[in-house]
Amino acid sequence: MSIVSWLKRWRRGKLDEDDFQDEIRAHLAIAAEERMADGADRRSAQLASLKDFGNVTLTTEAARRVWTPWWVDALHDQASDVRYAIRALVKNPVFSLTVVGVLTLGIGLNAAVFTMLKGIALSPIAGVDRSARLPVMFRETSSGRQLPVSYPDYQYLRDHDRAFSGLFGSSVAAVNLGKGRSARQVWGEIVTGNYFQILGVRAARGRTLLPSDEIAPGRHPVIVLSDGLWRRDFAADPNIVGKTVEINNYPLTVVGVADPTFHGTTVVYDVEVYVPVMMAPQLGFTFGSRETTPAGILADRRASFFFPHGYLRPGTTLANAAAQADALWATLSRDRPLTDPADRLRVVPFWHTPGGAPSILLPTLGVLSAMGLLVLMIACANIAGLVLVRALSRRGEIAVRLALGATRTRIVRLLIVENLVLAVPGAILGVVLARYEIPVLVGYAESLAAPQRVFFNIGVDGLVIGFAALVACASALAFGFLPALQSTRVDLVSVINEDASPRGASRGRLRAGLVVAQVAVSLLLLVGAGLATRSVEAARRANPGFDANHVTAVAVDVKQNAYDEPRGRVFYRKLLDAARADAGIESATLAAYTPLAFLDMPARRVAIEGYEPRRAEDLSFMSNTVGSDYFRTLRIPLVAGRAFEDSDDETAAQVAVVNNTLAQWFWGGAVNAIGKRVRVADGDWRTVIGVAADVKYVRINESPRPYIYLPFLQAYRSNMILHTRSSAPVDTLVDQARARVAALDADLPILFARPLAGGIRGALILFDLTATMLFVFGVAGMALAAMGTYGLVSYLVKQSTHEIGIRMALGATGRSIVLAFLTRGLTLGAMGAALGIVAALGLGKLLSSMLYGVSATDAVSFARALVIVLGGVIAATIVPAWRAARTNPLSALRHQ
Amino acid sequence: MTLHSYRPDARTELLHGTLDMLILRTLQWGPHHGYAIGQTIRAQSSDVLQVEAGSLYPALQRLARKGWVTAKWGQTEANQRAKFYRITPEGKKQLLREESRWTELVDAIGRVMKPAVTPGTKE
Repeated sequence: MSIVSWLKRWRRGKLDEDDFQDEIRAHLAIAAEERMADGADRRSAQLASLKDFGNVTLTTEAARRVWTPWWVDALHDQASDVRYAIRALVKNPVFSLTVVGVLTLGIGLNAAVFTMLKGIALSPIAGVDRSARLPVMFRETSSGRQLPVSYPDYQYLRDHDRAFSGLFGSSVAAVNLGKGRSARQVWGEIVTGNYFQILGVRAARGRTLLPSDEIAPGRHPVIVLSDGLWRRDFAADPNIVGKTVEINNYPLTVVGVADPTFHGTTVVYDVEVYVPVMMAPQLGFTFGSRETTPAGILADRRASFFFPHGYLRPGTTLANAAAQADALWATLSRDRPLTDPADRLRVVPFWHTPGGAPSILLPTLGVLSAMGLLVLMIACANIAGLVLVRALSRRGEIAVRLALGATRTRIVRLLIVENLVLAVPGAILGVVLARYEIPVLVGYAESLAAPQRVFFNIGVDGLVIGFAALVACASALAFGFLPALQSTRVDLVSVINEDASPRGASRGRLRAGLVVAQVAVSLLLLVGAGLATRSVEAARRANPGFDANHVTAVAVDVKQNAYDEPRGRVFYRKLLDAARADAGIESATLAAYTPLAFLDMPARRVAIEGYEPRRAEDLSFMSNTVGSDYFRTLRIPLVAGRAFEDSDDETAAQVAVVNNTLAQWFWGGAVNAIGKRVRVADGDWRTVIGVAADVKYVRINESPRPYIYLPFLQAYRSNMILHTRSSAPVDTLVDQARARVAALDADLPILFARPLAGGIRGALILFDLTATMLFVFGVAGMALAAMGTYGLVSYLVKQSTHEIGIRMALGATGRSIVLAFLTRGLTLGAMGAALGIVAALGLGKLLSSMLYGVSATDAVSFARALVIVLGGVIAATIVPAWRAARTNPLSALRHQ
Repeated sequence: MTLHSYRPDARTELLHGTLDMLILRTLQWGPHHGYAIGQTIRAQSSDVLQVEAGSLYPALQRLARKGWVTAKWGQTEANQRAKFYRITPEGKKQLLREESRWTELVDAIGRVMKPAVTPGTKE
């Protein structure tokens, strides 16, 4: 048959009901007429025709079915299955509610983890399509240090690269928004003119930045605000376009407000202003580079601050792009050599951005995902146990269905539909749970990050709902399929004889297997949770090498009020004098960076006297510029030599203090280091006058690293942090420090003012979050496993009522019966525990990068988990066994 | 699609598609309404085959759906309203196919029921 006629037939639709009834009436009329012609009276003729015709309804039904396609028929069957399933489940509310509750927990936890994973890896940039497929470029030195590129390098790449359909550059920086004292710090991105165009982000108001804003340095003093900033700081002013705002005390004209969904390209940072890169000199950016002045920032290859991003051209792979970048970089390095160590250009997927939140968070999220799946596995094993038990009590119903001729497939289908019916509310509630638990987590992260604004792209969207649905279906199959298969393997005779004692050994094995699996997985979860909590404890207890308590951190940048170096020196001199004059202040000092701030500080090339670097060795270390009294204020012990003094000024000999690790590495000991010389970047050689004990410079779990301190008076910078120590309450201390700055210059913006200990919390965020979540997962898993074990054991006991009755009639004591069950339970528990320990040893390896101060095979964590799990098994066994032992043997025997 | 004879002991279940074939065959002599089709089959089979309305009308719907017949309301000779079915060219082709299939089947059954004596076969 031709396709056309087939289509015609397909389109022909459905039975014309009225017409069909008409036809039947006509049939009856003709038949009656014929009978009347044979001499019957009208009434009996009509009745006879009707009788002869048969069942009109059935006929209509059959005619209707002719027109319904097979799949509509099947769907109709499914619908009746669903209706039946709902009826059956409503009749058994305890079972249904338990399953839905357990599933909600399992799916909710997984949906939450998936939502975070989505926000970090799948769509990391809110408001931008395909953001996960936005590669990023960076330089990598021979020692694996990952660096941005400079503006001239970016220009060269942009103009010569053919792998990308366009390359934009962006760099995140804290900028001061507003004038004088009312200024506050916000996150800004310094971007190229094609930034918005390549990302496809539109302006909600006015225009975005355009390539025409990137023509010449300082030519276009314009700015685009984020929607959030426009609403918060400008009360959603409809006439914002054309107004002037100050950034770093430089007036810029607002040309537009970005789309509300867009929060910048720096994951986790809530970027609030976008400034053309051409304004960087005017805004005084040096991006931590000491070699470059703001004026030279756009021309100097050493001033690296840009990460180029772009979408690949269709048909280009990441490998193609990397090869091109390699070639371009080789040409560039040959034509315009740098004094920097050898490096190469790398092209990587967005989530791999150096120092970016995704690369830091992904391993953690990976572990959390694995944990979430384990909880779900327990939940499924748990529900499978319940379904199995329920299927057993439905053996009568299933036997009758089979006896009436239902096929096994049909019954398995019905049971699977029942499971899906259970899974749907589980999935919905799970998504709702995720919807409410995520804001709690985000709120926690925000409070840790305050006053900096953070943004997580973690809305619950179609992707999350799809994921939850998928998980729900997969779990329904997982917990429903095996029991369904089992329950159709019924011995009709025994069921009809109402012999309900457990018979099939395989069924017993399956249940035992479920108990073993649950115990194993919950042990695994508990070990994970234990390791995480122990490492948080260790991190909290850990000695960072300095004492942050009772110390303030108040940051200013005198350049923001147009101080030159001599005036700046005077300002800081007066500030320290004022603080030290206060009798309540124990000590006061200045520093460029606070330790343990979680963010990497720029490392600088270092030359060490007497050490010949290997060829292409990247000898770069972090350093800090500090005032006199720094080591005393932060209580960092000196291992050898002396600390900086006020006499170490511009006129005195150039000096430095190094940390113990540097002294050990290069000179074999602290004492040997005194009198040796170091050089930082292109500065003068400095004599080492002291060796300070190591502290944790960036992260609590960092390994020892060389570090250099320079005296403030010999290495002036405009932005410094004032530390003061006093036994007074630290909040009062912070207020005093603020007041002191204001007394010297009322118009100077304070970048931040907080207790030093407060900033250190940030270094613990990840530990805290991971540990909290792992703990939640561990507890959830344990609770589920205990529930499951309890349910299965008590069912086992119930099934053995008859056996117990006989035993007791034969003289067994209650104790011996409890012991018998306990032995059975503990055997299963021990098997599960053994499996769990093996798995946990494997998991430990995975976790080890996230642990601190605790080994992955930490005996305490393992022992704790083992005690909890076996305790759970014992409790779950002993209670039903004890209840069984107290039954009256007579009633137990009468049971059947 | 079952056909029933008058006598309950002679119920004959016909093979799939046979009713369709009988209807198409009936319509070959010209358009008929449903009642007439049933009566014709009955008369032609000397009252052995009585087509129940419950089978006939769904079968007519099936044929219409497949495009083998078309239907149109009209008047009977006794001036009564009735829906007349007419066989389509497509239906005629189908009838030929069914007929040859049927003949083959009957021949085959016949050979089984009354096997011809062939060389080498024991009577």
